[in-house]
Amino acid sequence: MADTVDIAALVDEEAGHVSRRIYADPAVYEAEQEGLFRRAWGFLAHESEVPEPGDYVERQLAGENVLVIHGKDGVIRAFLNSCRHRGMRLCRADKGNASFLRCPYHGWSYSPEGELVSVFAEELYDAEHLDKSELGLIKVTQVDSYKGFIFGCWSEETPALDEYLGDMRFYLDILVGRTPGGVEVMGPPQCWEVHTNWKFATDNFTGDNFHLYTAHGSIAELGLLPPDPMALSFGNLIQAQRGHVLHIVPGPPIPEAEYFGLPMELRPVIEETLSEPQREIAKGHAFSVGTVFPNLSFMQVMVQGDLRSPPTPFLSFRIWQPTGPTTTKVWSWLFVEKEASEEYRKATYEAYVRTFGPSGIFEQDDMENWEECTRMNKGAIAQRYNLHHGMALQVPPDPDFPGPGKAWPGSYGERTQLCFYGEWKRWLTQEEPWA
Amino acid sequence: MSMQPVPVGSADYNAVLEWLYREAALLDSGEFEAWFALLAPDIAYEMPTRQSVYQKDGDGYQEDFGFYAENHSSLETRVKRLGTEQAWAEQPGSRTRHFVSNLLLQKDGEGAFHATTSFMVTRIRSDLPYDLFTGERRDVLRPDGGGYLLARRTILFDQTVLKSYNLSIFL
Repeated sequence: MADTVDIAALVDEEAGHVSRRIYADPAVYEAEQEGLFRRAWGFLAHESEVPEPGDYVERQLAGENVLVIHGKDGVIRAFLNSCRHRGMRLCRADKGNASFLRCPYHGWSYSPEGELVSVFAEELYDAEHLDKSELGLIKVTQVDSYKGFIFGCWSEETPALDEYLGDMRFYLDILVGRTPGGVEVMGPPQCWEVHTNWKFATDNFTGDNFHLYTAHGSIAELGLLPPDPMALSFGNLIQAQRGHVLHIVPGPPIPEAEYFGLPMELRPVIEETLSEPQREIAKGHAFSVGTVFPNLSFMQVMVQGDLRSPPTPFLSFRIWQPTGPTTTKVWSWLFVEKEASEEYRKATYEAYVRTFGPSGIFEQDDMENWEECTRMNKGAIAQRYNLHHGMALQVPPDPDFPGPGKAWPGSYGERTQLCFYGEWKRWLTQEEPWA
Repeated sequence: MSMQPVPVGSADYNAVLEWLYREAALLDSGEFEAWFALLAPDIAYEMPTRQSVYQKDGDGYQEDFGFYAENHSSLETRVKRLGTEQAWAEQPGSRTRHFVSNLLLQKDGEGAFHATTSFMVTRIRSDLPYDLFTGERRDVLRPDGGGYLLARRTILFDQTVLKSYNLSIFL
């Protein structure tokens, strides 16, 4: 078990080395379930998925099924989706609307606010053996939301969401708070299962731009990436705070590629909504990929969905949910500004689904890499040799960067990966990693 | 639109069935450019996502959101991509078997055939276990010369969570 692994020895930030064991070892998996996922804030749902009282979705938090439900009082809560009587999975649909939640096994019924309302054959219990006020649904220990993104946390000790996100909020605002209405989901999440360790996905989504011309060489061959393989090496790698990291990358020097390529009709309101340093960053960049520690990643990119369509932006958030040492369930949402036109909604949807998600002409090749990396790193011999994360570590941070955190010039480099793994190590080895 | 059922075993039925078999053979033998030639220029090729919902809430398909939202140009892009040497999801390629059955056929007032079939596609990559893709296809086939062009394909997939790590094949 966990005590057989010296977690601290698995990541060497100074040397830029990471042990292969972090991607395959069952003991590491158990240690991160306990030290990380049962303590860190995890994304559950977006408010636009449960807009009406009674609306619910079922999600996962640290491997437990959680019901996110909009109460009659307007409050969105999150509960373990498990009846207090026998533990039955209370609500058995991915989504729906309910005025009350009745357990399919023996009929214990709960309000959308989580109170136990009625019990079958209640007259057969005496008061000593049934106190309904003590038998409400088990609450997710902390629930809070940021700009419509609802997070949950199983630990009382973990700092509040605002503090946990910290300076990452500055960058999240550029993505999800750049118009007065903010963003909303387009459709349900795409879900699929990958035989990889979840950290290969986050490793990629800490801002790995240097995989583009090999992993996505087919796209370059089709002429859908700039011909110069260093064309996307500019911009910055950013550690917003602790393990929250991202990159920002400029597009070609044309107005269409400013503000991530968002529709011209939205730009006046974006300029008005963002602060000066946020505006400067948004204006100068076309791409941003990053991760809210530990496993909520985002991508704001401009792509051609096919050979004839113009470059079109999309914004996707995804959870890489570990389901075992070498298996991951991916949840990927597409977001759009509430103010967006029907025409733009169609364009951004098509750009996304043609390039990302399991059928996307980009992402299908990513998963090929992540699965094969995971398989190769299982070997005891392979595990004797560390993996290399040493690119561009000599580059100092830019003291004049307009945003918070540390920003290293250039988007080809492994700084943000090491920031992520360093934070990962702290959560697995420290009593109070946030201190 | 008035729809006429096309009886099982009729000449039209057999011709459409044979077209579906030949299409499957092209996909299974990796002849993607020949497959692409069977597509109408205005094709809509879609695969909605599905969620598990109570029966009162319908069948769980999301009409406007899916795993595929393709037109002629994007399918051409996918076929050309498969012809590159760096499409790693298909290098080396998948081995697939497209089983197409349970054909029910109707003809509309403009002479196009509306074919509903069940499909089961097996896929093996490398030495990995079988991937299994099952569902229903709703196709519209438009007569063209002596054959047909595929004008619409809606893939109603049975899984809510795709149990395969990618969808690098055509269904």
